[in-house]
Amino acid sequence: MSILVDASTRVLVQGITGAQARRDVAHCRAYGTRVVCGVTPGRGGMQVEGLPVYNTVGAALATHEIDATLIYAPPYAVRDAVLESLAAGIRLAVVLAENVPVHDALVMRASAERAGALIVGCNTNGILSPGQCKLGGIGGDLPARVFMPGPVGIVSRSGGMSAELALTLKAAGYGVSTAVSMGGDAVPCTPMVRYLALFDADPGTEATLLFGEPGTPNEQEAADWLASRNSAKPVIAVLAGEFQERYPAGTSFGHAAAMIQDPRDTVSAKRQMLADVGAHVVRRLGELGPLLTRLGVTRAVEDAT
Amino acid sequence: MIALTEDLAKAYLQSRGLPVPAGSAAATADEAARRAEALGGCAVIKALVPAGRRGLAGAVRKVGSPTEAREAGAALLGSDVGGHSVEQVYVEALEPIVAELYLSFVLDRYPAQVIASVHGGVDIEQIHRDHPDRIHRLNVDPVGGLRPWEAMRLWERCGIESARLPSLAALTVGLWQAFVAADALMLEINPVAVCADGRLSVVGAMLGVDDAALARQPQWQAMAATLASRGGRRANARERSVLEINARVPGAVFRYTELDGDIGFFVGGGGASLFQHDLMLALGARPANHLDATPGAGWKEKMAAVVDAILARPGVRGLLISYNFLQLVNVDERMRLIVDHLKLRGVDPTRFPVVVRLFGPGEDRAREIARELPGLVYMPPMTPIEAAVARIVELTGGPRGTAG
Repeated sequence: MSILVDASTRVLVQGITGAQARRDVAHCRAYGTRVVCGVTPGRGGMQVEGLPVYNTVGAALATHEIDATLIYAPPYAVRDAVLESLAAGIRLAVVLAENVPVHDALVMRASAERAGALIVGCNTNGILSPGQCKLGGIGGDLPARVFMPGPVGIVSRSGGMSAELALTLKAAGYGVSTAVSMGGDAVPCTPMVRYLALFDADPGTEATLLFGEPGTPNEQEAADWLASRNSAKPVIAVLAGEFQERYPAGTSFGHAAAMIQDPRDTVSAKRQMLADVGAHVVRRLGELGPLLTRLGVTRAVEDAT
Repeated sequence: MIALTEDLAKAYLQSRGLPVPAGSAAATADEAARRAEALGGCAVIKALVPAGRRGLAGAVRKVGSPTEAREAGAALLGSDVGGHSVEQVYVEALEPIVAELYLSFVLDRYPAQVIASVHGGVDIEQIHRDHPDRIHRLNVDPVGGLRPWEAMRLWERCGIESARLPSLAALTVGLWQAFVAADALMLEINPVAVCADGRLSVVGAMLGVDDAALARQPQWQAMAATLASRGGRRANARERSVLEINARVPGAVFRYTELDGDIGFFVGGGGASLFQHDLMLALGARPANHLDATPGAGWKEKMAAVVDAILARPGVRGLLISYNFLQLVNVDERMRLIVDHLKLRGVDPTRFPVVVRLFGPGEDRAREIARELPGLVYMPPMTPIEAAVARIVELTGGPRGTAG
């Protein structure tokens, strides 16, 4: 089981004619993702690897049924690409671009909330349900190296750490239901808590693993949600960036979102808030396997190599 | 965030038709005197640094004549304010202020907020601590923007009298629009002055702009590298060299911040670098820098520029190059660049320890390439992320006891 995407998800690729899109789309299709068509303004009528290309999302929808869009627009074109997909009625978008201006992210998030849609990103390497579907570069050309099917949901503010966590789980014999790299920006288009709730409701997910960082209210919202939910499904939290507390508040270490603005934004405070409401807070990746065993999470049948 | 100096912030607000006092920058005391004279003698002389609380630091001085302006300029120029060396002063017309209000716009999370108080002209953080009820906040709808009636309600809650509300609301909406148009993350007006003749005037202005939006804000793009701050201070020459190559070649972004440790820290990816930085401190060692690297075009020259900056730093005792399992990039290309560049710079890993954790496609070829540089420690396949950090700490002198 999985959240958001599975083997039946029909995918549109906006910006399909670019080099990164062509490479990723080839990997996604080889993995089984049902890519049905693409959109690139000005390239309507073209074909990319046998897929028809349209000028607008509306034109693509006139011919195809589409569940999700994978967006390769460059940073300053992302906002309009997302708004176009929302206007056309698509309810799931994955936005890969990094360095999207924060004001654009505000508009996208508000528009998605109004439309009842979910936008993964910006600044994500994608979302992957092992053995079924991947959207974006996540997992690269051979996702099976890193992601094994299983009952652990992953939501991570870091794309690289999604893979690192999945790899650690795999080495310990545990697989993943869906891995979501939610994006590392100061204003993600969807807050972490939304993914946690989806995993909580997914019968195929037995435990959820989150990776948090300093800055943003994502982890605090997660703690508030944990305190109020009617479920006992385990949530495991790995948080990094405690070192920033040695420096004055507001000091930027480059990663704009991971900046402490408020005492509640520190990793120490987040660890405490999450632990207080029953999350399992882990400091070393090596602790994950033994913890999942203690929690009775189902191990993969296949040999973990 | 790019923190603009007051002259740039005010020139921008003025260009949008907002009421800013006449003023300009001066680099010498004589120039400050001439500018004060042009304003009629009475003026305010302010240290032109991107720091708050200048008033408290004595860096804002009222003068009554060009002579006093010269003295104030001489005292401020070359001094240190909030960790910044004062290279210019801002000479501004003195407004006949009868009341001071506080107004700011902040975008550090969803959604953006307007913050207002009738207690302007002082340290707002002090007001926040002592009288949090005197500060009023409003979330702004990102799609609709700030509406005049919402601004009016906000100021009404602050206690502003009816007659003043329309003009104050109009100014607030104008500033909100300037905030959005600038791709700003922070705009603080402290104070908004109410003048004796009833005018409103933007007397204090601090503007911080989103780095990611600079390419569509050409008025500030050229000064991005000089304005960029690193850890609350201006970037130094090594940090600027990395900023400049980021600006020159679009694509990959390497954010390099120097710290006071002694282990060169070349760690890819935002999350991985936070995680490994914590691990290093837990072992009692300290990184010489932090790095946040994101992939993209131009990564080879940018990676080389960061390695050069680390190697140029006095006192650095070793180098950790450690990535998450790479999913898209060929590991051998990374290793080729690392080995060639370290050879080019004459680095001998038997004397200057270099530990590499680099796994993913092309790893077999990468391991062959690594053998060209004797002494380079390439962590065995699938080694946990913790082990590479422990290894560089061990090779550069071992655990330093508990983190300080």
